[in-house]
Amino acid sequence: MMTHLKTLARHREFSIFLMLIAVAVYLSFANEYFLSQRNLMNVGRQGAVVAIVALGQALVIIARGIDLSVGSVIGLSAVCAALTLQFTGSDILALSAGLATGLAAGVLNGLMVTRFRINPFIATLGMLSIARGIALLMTGGIPVTFAGWAEVLGAGRIFDIPVSVILMVVLSALVHVFATRSVTGREIFAVGDNPKAARLAGIDTVRIRMFVFGFCGLLAGLGGIILAGNLASADPNLGMGYELDVIAAVILGGTALSGGRGSIIGVFIGAMLMALLNNAFVLLGISAYWQVVTKGLIIILAVGIDGLRRGDEAED
Amino acid sequence: MTGGAAYSEARGSSAAAPMLHLDGIGKSFGPVRVLEGVSLSVAPGEVIGLLGENGAGKSTMMNIVAGALQPDAGELIFNGRAVQFASIAEGIQKGIAFVHQELSVVGALSVAENLFLGRMKRRGTGLLDRRAMRDGARGMLEAVGATGIDPDAPAGSLRAGEQQLVEIARAAARKPKLLILDEPTSSLTPHEVEGFLTFVRRARAEGTAIIFITHRLEEAMSICDRLLVLRNGAVVSDRLPAETSKEQIISDMTGKAAIFDHPARTVSSADVALELTGLSVPHLLDNISLTVRRGEIYGLFGLVGAGRTELLEAICGARRIGAGEMRLNGEPLAPKSPAQALGRGIALVPEGRKTAGILPQHSVRRNASVSSLRSVASQGVVSASREASAVGAKLQALRVRMENDQRAITTLSGGNQQKVIFARTLLTEPTLLLLDEPTHGVDVGAKAELYDIVRAAADEGLTVVVASSELPEILALCDRVGILSKGCLAGVLSREEMDEAHILRLAFSEHEKEA
Repeated sequence: MMTHLKTLARHREFSIFLMLIAVAVYLSFANEYFLSQRNLMNVGRQGAVVAIVALGQALVIIARGIDLSVGSVIGLSAVCAALTLQFTGSDILALSAGLATGLAAGVLNGLMVTRFRINPFIATLGMLSIARGIALLMTGGIPVTFAGWAEVLGAGRIFDIPVSVILMVVLSALVHVFATRSVTGREIFAVGDNPKAARLAGIDTVRIRMFVFGFCGLLAGLGGIILAGNLASADPNLGMGYELDVIAAVILGGTALSGGRGSIIGVFIGAMLMALLNNAFVLLGISAYWQVVTKGLIIILAVGIDGLRRGDEAED
Repeated sequence: MTGGAAYSEARGSSAAAPMLHLDGIGKSFGPVRVLEGVSLSVAPGEVIGLLGENGAGKSTMMNIVAGALQPDAGELIFNGRAVQFASIAEGIQKGIAFVHQELSVVGALSVAENLFLGRMKRRGTGLLDRRAMRDGARGMLEAVGATGIDPDAPAGSLRAGEQQLVEIARAAARKPKLLILDEPTSSLTPHEVEGFLTFVRRARAEGTAIIFITHRLEEAMSICDRLLVLRNGAVVSDRLPAETSKEQIISDMTGKAAIFDHPARTVSSADVALELTGLSVPHLLDNISLTVRRGEIYGLFGLVGAGRTELLEAICGARRIGAGEMRLNGEPLAPKSPAQALGRGIALVPEGRKTAGILPQHSVRRNASVSSLRSVASQGVVSASREASAVGAKLQALRVRMENDQRAITTLSGGNQQKVIFARTLLTEPTLLLLDEPTHGVDVGAKAELYDIVRAAADEGLTVVVASSELPEILALCDRVGILSKGCLAGVLSREEMDEAHILRLAFSEHEKEA
């Protein structure tokens, strides 16, 4: 039992989990409304999109890439889905169009990285601008109404639990099993750890990179549908700045930006912590501008602490 | 020598007070004791050969001397004074220069700028004085016998061996009192080695104390005044080269009598496993035609830059070929990636264990299984138990020494890491195994074990192609050897025809044509 606890304490997930508990305990004393079911469900709903997209982002970062375009892809996917619904009236087509848009953006990112050997940072930074621009062009900058099935995904409830929260939990579990148990999942870690060695060991590194970028885009597409469904409207500016929350969640969860290391459980907890902190600002009545500053500080701190920790290891 | 006691030397060629004296040095990392009661002396103008298997404690000891690590116990006396260096910088300031095995030149800067790194020459205007640096660099390079290196070339464009010489030149230019060289010759060509050894002899004559870490016994015996063998963190022998033998040193290092006979193998099969016809890669390989029989161990020898690695890369799909064709077991072979080659049963142990071999953040087990995950998975899901048993059996068969296979691979010694890479390739059940410098930087004991592994696999019908720049390796292991010279196949020798002089003559053949 003790050794179990020890290995647990060594894990990054554990320390981030403790942080999550600490913030929750503090908030429950600071604000009586915090523990109310309505507020907790709200936190879950707010965290759901970040967590779902962070699942894809985590795989990208573990494979030693990064996807800065997720925020814009959320917006573009939502717009494409909403417009499809408007023109065809078909919910199935609308949801498919939203997911396909996300997947296509991800695949394009993957192609830029693998075929044209463009640094992922630059490729996805370009996509960040392109996707947002297309969303604005398609709508003329005006939000499109988006009801139907998307509303169920975004705002619906099953047994009083938001559908998006259920989706988040199910997807997290699936991706966790995929990352740790599947052949492809294991190859993602290998490619991120040492790309050259992985390639020479016979791993199809092009396939792996295409997969993680495509998957991340697909989840961004799903995130866009949920987010727009919650508001019953697809704003072309939807998801702006989400890349920051998503990457913060991934890094808080203990995923190394240098690749090869990370856990889906950690990412899930990281996303929940981000949502909780957002909630704290609202409940404690602190200016939303401070929230923006804090988010930046959290990212820097998370990476900084990790760097210090790893520096210690290296010096041993 | 003032201010210090006179140290009587138990052994040694010089009666002078030692430049460096270690007394009872101990060092532990956590529960692991790496050094225990290590004592040694190096006199000015003396060259000490420090030998030992990987993991014996050589690097730790030298890091303590250089100031990178602090000892837990014992005393370090340098230049007559008890010292405790707080950092590498302090060690350098006091006159210790340490040339590491890992290269650390700045690739984007020129050779001259690298040589003057941290103390670049400036003119009155504050701008760099390039001419003075270039001239200075030329002198520094000449001093270590590296006259062929252009001071203006970007350091990153140099071969590994040349980069090594730049680092040695940089260390030598500081005129250190103590020079520590960690495997300086492992990537040098025979010609460069000669120039380098001339430098060592001159530095010795000028009174520099030198500690020379190497795996090459012949070299150590020819240049060193004394040979110290470190085993399991303790000095186990201190011998004069004239009074000892290679076999003796090997048995000191391994703790057991050296067995280095290599019986000639008989390749029973007449089937051709691999056939290359007119294979060319622009600027690198020119019209290579050769055949390898099933179960044969085929060597590829060549000087650095001869195209050994490139040829293996072409066979395993890591490099695109310009012309020519390849056949494996009679079927055309044109893999576009190592993944495709693996699908055809071709596995590679690449050159450069750290950069191209291990997955440093992965466990031993996962390093071994990464190429063969599909064979222990059903419907794309890896079975942890099947993985553990397949890997466990293979690691045991290859006698990998480790605590358990869930530990990080970086906790293993170099030789054991290399065995894990071998296990990785063998787990794919290949029909053709490509080995690129398979025992580079591996100690003698592990080397012999790796040779046994290769021989055993070949006896079971595995076809092996070994690229190596180490002649003893080719002679010990191979049934036939193809000698590459500047990208051309200069000749193929059978086991009966193989001897050092013959192979080297062929390896230099294209160089001589130019001269």
